[in-house]
Parts: sequence; C-alpha cells; structure tokens
Amino acid sequence: MKGTQLGEFEEVVLLSIAMLYDDAYSVAVLEALNGSLGRPLSLGVVHRTMQRLEEKKFVISRFGEASAERGGRRKRLFTVTVAGEHALREARRVRDALWNGISETAFGH
Amino acid sequence: MRFGMGFQKPHLVIDMNSKNNLPPRWAERLIEMIAASHLREEILGDLHEMFQKRSARIGRIAAQWLYVLDLTLLIHPRLWRKETETVRPQYVTNILSKPNQIAMLRNYIKVAFRKLSRQKSYALINTVSLSLGIACALLIFTLVRYHLSFEDFHADKDRIYRVYSELHGEKITYSTGVPNPFGQALRTEHNVAQKVGRIAFLPSRVVSVNPQKKFKEDIAFADADFFDIFNFPLIHGESGDVLRDPNTALITEQMARKYFDTAEAVGKLLWIDDSLMVRVTGVLRNLPPNTDFRSQIFVPFDNLQDHSPWMVEKDWWMSVNKEMQCFVRLKPGATAASVNTKTLPAISDTHYDKEMAKYFRFKLQPLSDVHFNTALRGKTDKRNLRTFAWIGFFLVLTACVNFVNLATAQAVARSREIGVRKALGSQQGSLFWQFMTETSVIALVALIVAVALSYLALPYLNRLFEIQLSINPLLDKSLPAFLGVLLIVVIFCSGVYPGLILARLQPVVALKGKLTVQTPGGFSLRKGLVVAQFAISQLLIIGTLVITNQLRYSQQADMGFQKEAVVIVPVPDNQRTKINTLGSELSSLSGIEKVTFFDTPPASDAIGSTNIQFDTRPEPEKFSISIKAADDQYVPMFKIPLIAGRNLLPSDTIREYLLNETAVKALGLKTPDNALGKPATINGRRGTIVGVVKDFHFRSLRMAIEPLCLTTHSGVYSSCGIKINLSNMAATIGAMQAKWSKIYPSSIFTYRFLDEDIERFYKLDNMLLRLIQAFAAVAIFVGCLGLYGLVSFMAQQKTKEIGVRKVLGANVSDILWLFGKEFVQLLAIAFLLAAPLAWWAMEHWLSDFAYHINPGAGVFVLAIAATLLVAFFTVAFRSIKASMINPIKTLRSE
Repeated sequence: MKGTQLGEFEEVVLLSIAMLYDDAYSVAVLEALNGSLGRPLSLGVVHRTMQRLEEKKFVISRFGEASAERGGRRKRLFTVTVAGEHALREARRVRDALWNGISETAFGH
Repeated sequence: MRFGMGFQKPHLVIDMNSKNNLPPRWAERLIEMIAASHLREEILGDLHEMFQKRSARIGRIAAQWLYVLDLTLLIHPRLWRKETETVRPQYVTNILSKPNQIAMLRNYIKVAFRKLSRQKSYALINTVSLSLGIACALLIFTLVRYHLSFEDFHADKDRIYRVYSELHGEKITYSTGVPNPFGQALRTEHNVAQKVGRIAFLPSRVVSVNPQKKFKEDIAFADADFFDIFNFPLIHGESGDVLRDPNTALITEQMARKYFDTAEAVGKLLWIDDSLMVRVTGVLRNLPPNTDFRSQIFVPFDNLQDHSPWMVEKDWWMSVNKEMQCFVRLKPGATAASVNTKTLPAISDTHYDKEMAKYFRFKLQPLSDVHFNTALRGKTDKRNLRTFAWIGFFLVLTACVNFVNLATAQAVARSREIGVRKALGSQQGSLFWQFMTETSVIALVALIVAVALSYLALPYLNRLFEIQLSINPLLDKSLPAFLGVLLIVVIFCSGVYPGLILARLQPVVALKGKLTVQTPGGFSLRKGLVVAQFAISQLLIIGTLVITNQLRYSQQADMGFQKEAVVIVPVPDNQRTKINTLGSELSSLSGIEKVTFFDTPPASDAIGSTNIQFDTRPEPEKFSISIKAADDQYVPMFKIPLIAGRNLLPSDTIREYLLNETAVKALGLKTPDNALGKPATINGRRGTIVGVVKDFHFRSLRMAIEPLCLTTHSGVYSSCGIKINLSNMAATIGAMQAKWSKIYPSSIFTYRFLDEDIERFYKLDNMLLRLIQAFAAVAIFVGCLGLYGLVSFMAQQKTKEIGVRKVLGANVSDILWLFGKEFVQLLAIAFLLAAPLAWWAMEHWLSDFAYHINPGAGVFVLAIAATLLVAFFTVAFRSIKASMINPIKTLRSE
C-alpha cells in the first residue's frame, strides 16, 4: 500500500522521535541525528521527513510551548502513533530475520 | 530599535543582550512570505533556536551565514504546499466519509421534483427555452445529416466518380456532361475503370400506356453497367439482363403502380414520346430520398439513337451536353489523381487536335461531391449547411446561458436551503450532484418536448425544402447518439457553474440570507453570457433584414422587360406549320393580346452562348455572346425598349440580329448606331445587325448582364409566350388548352407564369430566409426568457435597495432606469460585437449577386432598435413588478 512504506531515513527519524519521547521536535531530532549519524544534516531534510511521516500517519503532532530561545514561537512536538510503532517493529523484524539468515562465514573475506 | 511584527512578544522576555543577537530580518520575512501558514511558526521558531545556539557557539556572523544556508536548504514544494486533508485527526474524516452517490440518487430525484413543482415559473422558463434550443438543434442535425447522407448507400462509393468537363475558353466553364463518345473511349482505350456507366437524362418526356393514360416524366437512357455501379436493387425481374436488350425499360415500383396499378409490371409496354415503345423487364425498389438520381424510368443507352438522335449525332466530340453524363467505378488499384493527370488528358490528346485538346479537359468528381458542388449543378451548398450547424450550436448555447442565468439567480432564493443542508452535514459534492440531478430532470423533460416539437415542425420543413426528412431513431442510429451527447452537453454546460456556486456557499452566510453572488468573476461571467445572447440575436436580425431586402429587391427590381400577365406554354413540336397554326388559333381567342414563339423567356438560367465575328474583323471576338431565338413579336410583347434601329422581321430565312447595349460596348463601338447595318457571324451564321435593345436582365440578378443577341430561328422554338388579359383568366386558359391539345394531341398541356419563373431563381434564398427568420425568432424569444431571468435575479437582490430608494422619494420610472441602464450597456457592447460580424457575413453573401443592395446604416439601427425594444419590454415587465412593491413590505422583514 502506498504511503505505508518506511524509507531508511524515515526509519531513523521515527526512531529518534520515539527516543526523544516527550520532547521530540525538529531541532531536537536534528541534533540527535547529527550526533548519532555523524554527518551534518540540514533542517529542511528533517522537516520534510517529519511532514511525510505525519502524512503517513506514523506520527501525530501538537504544538508545544513558546520559549524565548525560539523568539516566542511554539514548537511542534511529535509522538509516534500505533501505526508508526507497527512500521518500526515490522522494519526491525525484517532486518532481524535477514540477519539471522546470514551464516557466520558470509563475511569471511 | 527595530519593531518587527514577530518580535513584539519576545522583546519582553529575552534579555537585552540578545537584542543584537537576532537572525537576519529579511530572511525571516522571506520565510513568512513563502512558507505555508501552518508551517510558518515552527520553522521560524526552529531556525531562531538554532541561530541562538550557533551564535553562542561559533559567533554571530557564522550563525547568520548558516541561517541563510538552512533557509536555502528548506526551499522545497513542501514549504509552501497547503495543509493536506490527511493531517486532520481521524474522527473528522470518519464523519465526512463519502456518501454513496447511487444510493442518494433516489433522494436527489425526489428533491428535484419537489423543487421544480414549487418553482413552476423557473422550471417552465428553463424547459421552454431548452426545448426550443434542442428542437432547433435536432432539426438542423437531421437536415445536415440528410444532406451528408446523399449517395452513401452505394457499394465501393469511394471508387465511384463522375467525369465532368472543363472548358478552357477565355474563362473556365464547367459542365457535368461529357461528349457522347467519351464513355466508350474511356471503356475501350484505357484500363483504369472497372465499370463505365453512361447515362443521358431527358427531363419532361411524355410517357403513356394508352392515349388516355399519359404523364410527364423525367427519363434516363443508361448503360447496363450503370446499375452495376450504383445500388438500386430490383424487386422484380432478372438482374443479369436488365437494359442489355434494346427497347426494354427499368421502372421503379412507384412508376409501376402509377401506370399499371401493380408492382409486378414485368413484360408490360410503355410509350415514350410516341417515338419509342419499350417493354418493362425489371422493377426497381423505390428510390431512397437521399439520392440525386430522380429519374424513375430507365431505357437502354443505345435507344437514344432512336429517341433523340440529335444527342448522339455522329460521335460528336465537339459539344458537351450537361445531361449526357458518365459515371465510372475505378479499379481497386487506380487512384483518382493518376486518372486525372494521365488517363483523362490522354483521352483529350487522342481525340482532339492540339488546339482543341487544350480547350476540352476532363476531370473526375468524387461521388460524395456531386450533391454539394454547386459549380457542377450540386443541389446544396455546404456553406449553408455550415451556417445552419453554427446557428444550431448558438441556439443551444443561448438556451444553456438562460439556464445558467436563471439558476444562479435562483441560488439567492435557495441560500437558506443550502445553509440548512450544509449545517446538517451535506458536503459540496452531494449538493453539487443534487443540483445536477435537478438540471438533468429539466433537460430530460426539455429533450422529450423538443423531440415532440421537431416531429410537429418536420412536415413544414419538408414542405419548405421539398425534401423527405424523417426523424426515426430506429433507422438512424446516429440520432439517439446525437441526442444522448446533446443531453449530456446541455446538462453539463448549464448545470456545472450554478451547481458549483450553490455547493460552495458558506453555510453561515447562506443561513443569514445575506448572500450576494457578487464574486467579481461570477457576475461578469453572467454579464458576458447576456452580451453573447444579445449579440447572437442581433446577428440573426441583421441577417434576416439584409436577406429580406435583397430578395425583395431582386423580385421587384425592374428587369428591363415586362413580366406581368405572360403565360408560357411549351411547344412540343416546332414544325413551322404547327407553330403557325397554334399562333393564329391562339391570337383569335378573345382574352389573348399577343403571342410570341421563342426558345427561352427573357429571363432564364438556361441560355446558350457562342462566339461572334463582327463586320470585317478577321478574328472572332474574345468574348462569347449569349443567344436567344425569338420571333418578331418577342420585343414588342415583353416591351423591351429599342434604342437604335428596328425590330426583327418575321422572316426566318433572312438572318437578322438584335444586340444589347453590353454587346455593342464589348465590340468596342462608340454608339449603338455604329453597329446598325453591319454584318456579323454569330453561331456560324452570317447576318446583319438591324437594331440594338436596351440592356435587360436575361438571367437572375446574381449575374451581371453580358453580351446578348436576339435572332429568329424557328427550328429551336420550344416555348410560346402569351400575353393574356387577366380579367377572365381561367376561361382564357381553358380555351388555350383546347386549341393546344387539338394541335398536339399526344402531349400534355402545361402552363406557367413568367413572374413565377423569375421568382423561382430565388427559391433557395427564400427557403434560407424562412429558416433564418424562424431561427432568429427562436433566438430572440429564448434571449428574452434569459433576460427575464436576469432581471428577476437583480430584482431579488435589490429588493431592499428599491425599498430605501422609494422611501427617499424615487418614483417608478427612476427605478426602471436603475434596471434599464445596465442592460442598455450590455446591449451596446453586444451590438459592437455583432455589427462588424454581421456586416462581414452579409457582404460575403451579397457578393454573390452582381446587382445587390447596400446594407446601409438603417439595417443596423433597426436591429439594435428591435433588440432594445424587446429587451425593454422584458425588463420592464419584471422590473415594474419590483418597483411597484410597497417599500414597507420589503423593508420590514429583516
């Protein structure tokens, strides 16, 4: 079904949102990813991915509070939905199944 | 200090230090401009936050650069794309799930009928205008299809051609005929034709079973191959041997019943013109209405030798008779282009000397062109059909425009209903389809009424055009298809716009009843529609006026001779003695003033032309001269003025010529007197010019007057003109018939009046005029209905305004002007559009006439005045009602 596929980058973003749990908003996600992926990402990429995730109904969003640091603007906070959780678990299951199928000698160069 | 809108709040909370520590203002402005509204706040916030963190870490300048970099990387369609539906929380989409349109249909139809029965005048106006429009379109469609269907029932019709002649003289003239040996030459000398069918048409011959039972018929002398080319099936007789033997005949079932009272006429005998007796060997099924072959009696081509030897005299290549025609069906491989460029020129080259081969050229005319090519005696002009198709289109369009106008006007009255429906959860889609159902009901009823109307109008149309149209959906499969498509087009053209307007009403505004459909686009569209309607009406009115004027001019113009009270009687046999007896017998009758014999009446389209060699000039003149044979009574009887010399002498042996003024001018002579007494050779006969007559119109006014000569030649007299006293006409004609029948016992007496003859020149134009008049009437009527609708709409919108104005002292006429001024404007705009178009179209039509009126300003003034008047009455009718209302009533209800 179109729209329910989880791309690789989408998966990483979704995992970060889950990890950040109650404070998952774009800048936080961006920082978390910058830290874990070790390569610089632009805000735009993260933004668009999060919008896409919301359209796929893997996350829902609400507005948080305004803060001085943000020039008085509110953050948009994201929460992973049940569908999002399912998608993550499914992706993981597929991966694990594949890993389990790999014999020890497969990487024996 | 900078006071940006977005900064007012933060200024209060952040420390003074960060005041210098702000992201570039222009970049923020840019985001505010391009970002979608639901994204703007979080993006600005995110960027701001990152800027703050960065400037603390790496400094303000670098942070500003990175801010701009992030901004550029944000640019993507998602940044300005509107919020998608799916962002809505789950529960909303559940409520707004799509209703099942099919299941709703019953409800839609029920509501539609309720609505229509509540608003009877609205339903009636729409139905009437739509059904008029559709009826006209249906009739026009039937008419156009009928003409396009001519000769479409023959097998391999794409390979059937008629050979026609192009005579390259000073100008090229065309003839539908070919020299009589042509068919045989094409058949035997060239290998391109599968079948060659020669056919000679002879109109008005007397056909009889016995001396009592005789009628005038058009007969045709045809090759047997003709019936292999064309699909005219036999119902009695052997198909193998028809027209193979001499003195046989094929007749149609209709003829069989007429002469023998039975369809089984095989073996019976018929006389043709006393000179030919034939035995019927086959009976053809009645000719379909959509063929131009109208002869119902066919005789073998070889019998022409016995019946009319002059037509086939000595294998004559040098003359072309338009009735001597030749049809071919080409072999499957042969193309018309190669036949036209190789075979036919080869025939010219073999049978003529070098000079003449240039003069006689032959060409193929596709069968489908025969009905439409007016240069080759086609009966219908495709241009007329195209005009009708456009008129039909415009009429349907005006009807749809009406619908749109009325329906949008109705939207105001319905706004409360729509509001309630929306408040109860109707969606745009279902409201739209509900309205479309209503439209469909009206359109369907209109269609049924239209079909009934067309059935009623069809006999009139058939009589007018002398054709046999029928509306039979069982026979003509394209008719239901056309009606179906028309219905769908009408429903969509008229339903979609008001449907969308209705469906998009905001429920709150709608419920308050404060609706004004004054969205700028919407209202000007409606005005545009009214302008288009007015323009169409004016175009048709101007067309009607110009055609009427021109036809009146043509029929009443001074032709240059007297055409009243002249009866023309045919002379079947022009032996001198018989003519003389007839002349003297007729002259002795009391009611008859004068008698003259001639080949063609003064005005006639059938006139031959020839060349002239004048005086001692060595070469024949470059122009050709038309020739009329007539006795000495012709000029005095038709009161053709002589301007020089004298009239012809009665003698038939001394050759004398009368020329017209144009001929004298064409000869290059200064005065008519210069021509008198000079010898001239006309049509190979040498004679003397004895007089010059004033120019008269010897053909219809479409053609300019050309050189003409009159001479006595009793051998070709075919008609007798009789000037009679109109006071006792019936008795005189009875007496004439008795005398005539005594001299020509085996022929049938017929007579016609000269002025009727002249009117017949303009028969097609008169038909055209009637039809355009009818269409103009329909267009104006439908336009008025639409106008009425629009005024109703305005009246409804301006109810309160009128109330206030009346309270402030306006009287009825002021309020009428309130309505009127807008329509006067629209009318003027329409006139500016219609006038040049009409002028162009009419110039085009008039250019067909060598002598025509000049459509002056009067016609245009009349057209705008007529539409103004009609519009005024329509507007006044509704707006007087609106302006008479007591203002208390309109102002009290709020």
